[in-house]
Amino acid sequence: MSVYQTLRRLGIATHMLLVETLRELGIVLGFTIIFPIGILFFLNQLIPPDLRVQVLVGTIMMETALLNINGLAQSLGNDKATRVFDLWVSLPVSPVVYALSNALVLLPFTVLSALITLGVAVVAFHVAISFAVFPLLVGGFVLVWASTLGIGYLVGVYGGTPRQINSTAQIVGIILTFFAPIFYPVSVLPLPLQVVAFAWPLTWGSEFLVAVVHGAGGTALLSGGVLLAYVITWLVLIGSGVRWRQV
Amino acid sequence: MTLAPAGRPTSPSIPSTELPVLRVRGVSKTYKSRRGDKVANEDINLSVRPGELLALLGPNGAGKTTLLRQIAGQLLPSSGTIEVAGIDMIRHPLAAKEFISVIPQECEPKLNLTVEEHVRFFALLKGAPSATITEYVAGLLRQTGLDAHQRKLIRELSGGLRRRVLIAVALAGPRTRLLLLDEPTTGVDPEARRSVWQLIDGLRNRRIAILLTTHYIEEAEYLADRVAIVNGGRVVAEGTVDEIRDRLPYRGRLEVRGLDHLTPEARVRLDAVERKYPSTFRAGNTERLRVSDPFSPDVIGELVELNALGIVASLAPVSLEDAYLSLVDGSSTEHA
Repeated sequence: MSVYQTLRRLGIATHMLLVETLRELGIVLGFTIIFPIGILFFLNQLIPPDLRVQVLVGTIMMETALLNINGLAQSLGNDKATRVFDLWVSLPVSPVVYALSNALVLLPFTVLSALITLGVAVVAFHVAISFAVFPLLVGGFVLVWASTLGIGYLVGVYGGTPRQINSTAQIVGIILTFFAPIFYPVSVLPLPLQVVAFAWPLTWGSEFLVAVVHGAGGTALLSGGVLLAYVITWLVLIGSGVRWRQV
Repeated sequence: MTLAPAGRPTSPSIPSTELPVLRVRGVSKTYKSRRGDKVANEDINLSVRPGELLALLGPNGAGKTTLLRQIAGQLLPSSGTIEVAGIDMIRHPLAAKEFISVIPQECEPKLNLTVEEHVRFFALLKGAPSATITEYVAGLLRQTGLDAHQRKLIRELSGGLRRRVLIAVALAGPRTRLLLLDEPTTGVDPEARRSVWQLIDGLRNRRIAILLTTHYIEEAEYLADRVAIVNGGRVVAEGTVDEIRDRLPYRGRLEVRGLDHLTPEARVRLDAVERKYPSTFRAGNTERLRVSDPFSPDVIGELVELNALGIVASLAPVSLEDAYLSLVDGSSTEHA
């Protein structure tokens, strides 16, 4: 199948799922916007000013990870429950197109939410971030979104019923957001836990965003590279047909 | 005397020289586990030619859906080969899927899309050209009787109409040569079932090969050119409805109703008839007895005599259901 055909089908699938998602816009927007701002407001009362950037990044990471992992896993769970998943598998599309289209639908909401959270942090909570780094930060949001693609997909295809998938996604999201040091610097952890923390993509996402805000080019490059490696790994794994054609 | 099959009139004959669209050879599936291997299906061989409809009949758990999933590329067989339009489905699934359309069992279309959107997006995914998509979808909606509902959300439709949406989606592939229907009328009311049958029957004109699984014998009799009866993961019989019925060692059945209202005299007479013609089925106040030739003077004489005694009895040629029951439960017909 040609690259053109694959991209065309990716565009069609994403368009279809976007139309479907927009019919439930109220729920999506409520979750996307209210949730992170609430967290930000709450945490801002508790933490010293020098950790505000870290908390802002943690809030964005938490929202991004939860929305992406939950959203993707639940989409797959619904498709499995309604047997639409079987319909997809029988189409001449690769599992990468299926997974990416489901995840791409979430991307605008993820970025929108992150930008709103960022704007509220700068305007309302006076977190010092230069507007010049916003494009790089948006790139970081996209990388974080992509680096959690495989987690949501695996939870979706290996989970059982939609309810089980929902629970698993919640647990995975909590583990990722609270056990990865996104609300505090990784350096405060004991060394063995730092090693564990660096196995999570969210730790690298947090490192990347903090480095961009503080202008630490070397760290940004390293963590960006690791995030990219996660993305490639997920795409290869999904493309290999894991749980697509059952064996 | 020829026993006419029930159901639709005979379809135009399919040239036997035409190459099959679907060819399944020696397909088996074994699930391995620590508790022991479980055989889902074994050594399945079948083929379907263009314009032909093959119905897979079998009880629950017989392996019908397993086979359909293997053909659709959803489940990898443990051994054997599957060719769709000459393409190896196991080695080149994406290429083979260009020629397949599937309606999975109990599949629900996407509830938040309109009928038109649903058909249009899936048609595009299956390779329909964007330039003519509006006319193409309009044609599909007309063909499936959905044009009056095209702006409705799927969630607003009845079960029968939702099945029609899936059929429209299945027809949407411009390159579709094989249609796989997994129990397409399960859960729809009898009226909607008839309309789905007519729709499926109409597809023969498009020279699409159709493989359909069903629990409904009537559905297979109405639609199928050939029937394969699956039991215990194996194809236990395959052929036209006539060929499968001809496998039975008897040609007709004597059906007796109202067993709970017999006079003593009628009971004695019926006991004598039962000794002569073995029973194949008994439920409630109905009994079926097998007869070698339902049109022989002896049998007709028995019928007249039973009716004269007030017993509600009738004669009928053997049906596909008789053959099916005999094949999936051989114990009832071992002795003719």
